[in-house]
Amino acid sequence: MGASGSGKTTLLNCISTIDRASAGHIYLAGTDVTEIKEKEIARFRRENLGFVFQDFNLLDTLTVSENIALTLTINHVSPEQVSGLVHKIAVTLDIADILEKYPYQISGGQKQRCACARALINKPKLILADEPTGALDSHSSQVLLSTIQSINTELGATILMVTHDAFSASHASRILFLRDGEIFGEILKEHDTRRVFFEKILDILTKIGGGVGDVF
Amino acid sequence: MYFKLARRNIKRSAKDYVIYFITIIFIVMIMYSFLALGFSADIISISENMPIFTTYIIALSVIVTLISSFIVSYAVGFMLKQRKKEFAIYELLGMEVGAIQKLFLIENAVIGVLAFLIGLAAGTMLVGILTQIVKNIFDIPHSYRVSFSIKALLLSFVFFTLMYGAGLARSIRIIRQKKIVDLLYDSRKNEVISKQGRTSLRLALVIFSVFAIGTGIFLGGYGLTMQTNSAWGYLIGSIILLLAGVYVIYRNFPIMLITYAKRKNLKYSECNLFYLGQIGHRVQSSGRMMAITAILLTISLMTMFIGLVTGAGYKANMETYYPYDAGVAFDAPFTKNSFDGLISFVDEKCPVQEEIVFYLHDVDGYSIDALALSDYNALRSMLGLETVELPDDEYLVHCDTWTHIESIRAAMNKQPDVTIMDATLKNPQARINEEAMEQFQMAGTNGYVLIVADTIAAMLPANKIRVVMKLENGGIPELRSEIRRYLNSGQWHPELQAGEILPEHVTMGVTVKAWGLSNSLTSFTSISFCGLYLSIVFILLSCSILAFEQLSALDINRRNYQIIDKIGVSRQMQQKLVHRELSTFFFIPLVLPIIVMAVLMFGAQRLYSAYVYQKGIIPLYGFATITVFAILYSAYYVVTCHLFKSNIFMNKT
Repeated sequence: MGASGSGKTTLLNCISTIDRASAGHIYLAGTDVTEIKEKEIARFRRENLGFVFQDFNLLDTLTVSENIALTLTINHVSPEQVSGLVHKIAVTLDIADILEKYPYQISGGQKQRCACARALINKPKLILADEPTGALDSHSSQVLLSTIQSINTELGATILMVTHDAFSASHASRILFLRDGEIFGEILKEHDTRRVFFEKILDILTKIGGGVGDVF
Repeated sequence: MYFKLARRNIKRSAKDYVIYFITIIFIVMIMYSFLALGFSADIISISENMPIFTTYIIALSVIVTLISSFIVSYAVGFMLKQRKKEFAIYELLGMEVGAIQKLFLIENAVIGVLAFLIGLAAGTMLVGILTQIVKNIFDIPHSYRVSFSIKALLLSFVFFTLMYGAGLARSIRIIRQKKIVDLLYDSRKNEVISKQGRTSLRLALVIFSVFAIGTGIFLGGYGLTMQTNSAWGYLIGSIILLLAGVYVIYRNFPIMLITYAKRKNLKYSECNLFYLGQIGHRVQSSGRMMAITAILLTISLMTMFIGLVTGAGYKANMETYYPYDAGVAFDAPFTKNSFDGLISFVDEKCPVQEEIVFYLHDVDGYSIDALALSDYNALRSMLGLETVELPDDEYLVHCDTWTHIESIRAAMNKQPDVTIMDATLKNPQARINEEAMEQFQMAGTNGYVLIVADTIAAMLPANKIRVVMKLENGGIPELRSEIRRYLNSGQWHPELQAGEILPEHVTMGVTVKAWGLSNSLTSFTSISFCGLYLSIVFILLSCSILAFEQLSALDINRRNYQIIDKIGVSRQMQQKLVHRELSTFFFIPLVLPIIVMAVLMFGAQRLYSAYVYQKGIIPLYGFATITVFAILYSAYYVVTCHLFKSNIFMNKT
């Protein structure tokens, strides 16, 4: 978490290999991300990472099911398996009935669940979510966050979410706070209820200073 | 202030303007250079009827202006599409529509003037080369020289203003009519494959089109072998069927491709999904565009090939169309002595080395003239051909016009013997000599003759007389008009054969090889250069349409490629996808022109190579056509690819 300009997205971009770190190292499942060769980056990305973006990044030229299938085809999953896998994940994320629609025909919440499905289907080691609820209304946000939480608990995927919204953050189990490009603090949910955890987040945001505006 | 803003805009949207700019430069260059060639005093003075070349070029320039104004308005449409958001923002900020129009006008005027000047400079260089090519055709010594033609400049300027003005006027109208909301929000919707177009119906339509193309080819082939006017009916019918067939096939092609790919699970292999999405989201318009470009490219390749081959074939054949240096024909019963005066007249102008005066005899009951064997052999020796022998009771046919040979052969099969003056002549080996001797086409006979023994010929009336001459150094082109003047002047007094009267109408013919050659070269030059001119413009038109079409959706494409980059598609694969996408649009329209060119070259080689008296003309000019085409086409492909990539992969490390 952190105010805008604190370096959240830069960090995410560095972890996700979209951007190169100017100094330091990033280790992901034993691999130094900063040392990966240019040619290997794409492969590393598709084999280890899943992405969920604020503006969904779905291809308007493809249907929902094709958007989800795209990840599989890039990973050379055999064509016979593709339809089955897409359907399975769509049922999990409750988007099975919109599979044949195009992104511009569905709501923001549905788009984001579609993006989640695309990120998940490949069973990545890490799912990177950049303000996934940023473009959603509160109801859709709620549904999406529950979905992400269940992805974490039921499917066992690690999710690294960037947000400046305390409510979204309260669904996490561990939060790192950034200020001016540095880690300002860290809290763990552990056995707290979500309400208590939410209060803790607000406290820290108040300390940081930049986050007060988000509370009141 | 507008000028400053306009200048900045041009700088910023330079990438969008590139194709537009290149196309206009090319058009100005081609138009100016051909006009300058047509007006060049050097070229016009080459032969008597060369001014007709100028007329052709001006007429074609009008057509080119019309076609090019279409390109300009298309290009302007493309520019507007690229920048409608920008204009909407100007409007939102309170700029008046009139001011925006003015801004756009200034921008385009700057681009236009710049392109015109560069095109003019390039055109001036090109004229030198074209002039050299023409002089080379006429075997005139030449060297590269840059020359400038004011007339061509003025005319190019008028045509350019017309085509550019028409395009700009349209864009101004569009800006005025568009509302901010239209300008701001692009429809991202994909074009849907229409529901009525069920696969089976589509398949039926395609099968029907293939059938139409087949019928078209058959009708065309049949029409070409016909000698009557109804051939035109067959040819026009054939062209309509071919065009309709091709249009329907191309319109349905992308849809079929996608339907097929989706059905066969092909879509799940590698990045096919993305590729199909890229092609599919403009499935209707891309099909239409492919159809139009395929037809345009086919027309331009055909025009260029037919123009070049006909022209070159014409030049090669002229040598055989004029086997004698000079010849005079009269369809009147004159005595052979009548030509003594003429021969000495010619001798004064160009020394006569050898002359033959001979009759063509009427054969009662047959629509063919007869020639005595001794005259025939004399002509043959003059041309360096072997003399022939013929028994008194036999005949043979000489025909150097290939279109008649089959029907003569058929007539001979039906009725092998000829009866002349109670004598029955046979032709046991069905001999038809085909060497180019041409004397029989002078003054209205049909291009074939019956060769009979001298004794037989002597019995027949001699109502047609010819004289052919071999001249020192082959003679001069002016000889033709001088001979005509002499014959019509009253100085010449032909004598009639004893007991004959002068017919009411006397047909006269004068042929002079030197004159014929220089004029046939004019035709060659006119046909070839007009073909070249028109087809280059057609190719430019098709290429720029293709390029604009690919670059028109850059915003969406950039976003799409960024997305697949984020989800782990390698840069190498992305480059591959760009090439695949662009080549689909650039090369599928080529399938038809390639097939047509292959059929045309093969057909021309089979049907006509025997009648073009110089080997290798058809493959040579086929190759020339393909080379010119390939250079222009690849230039556009490379530029489009570069612009596409630099836009898609910009800001990426």
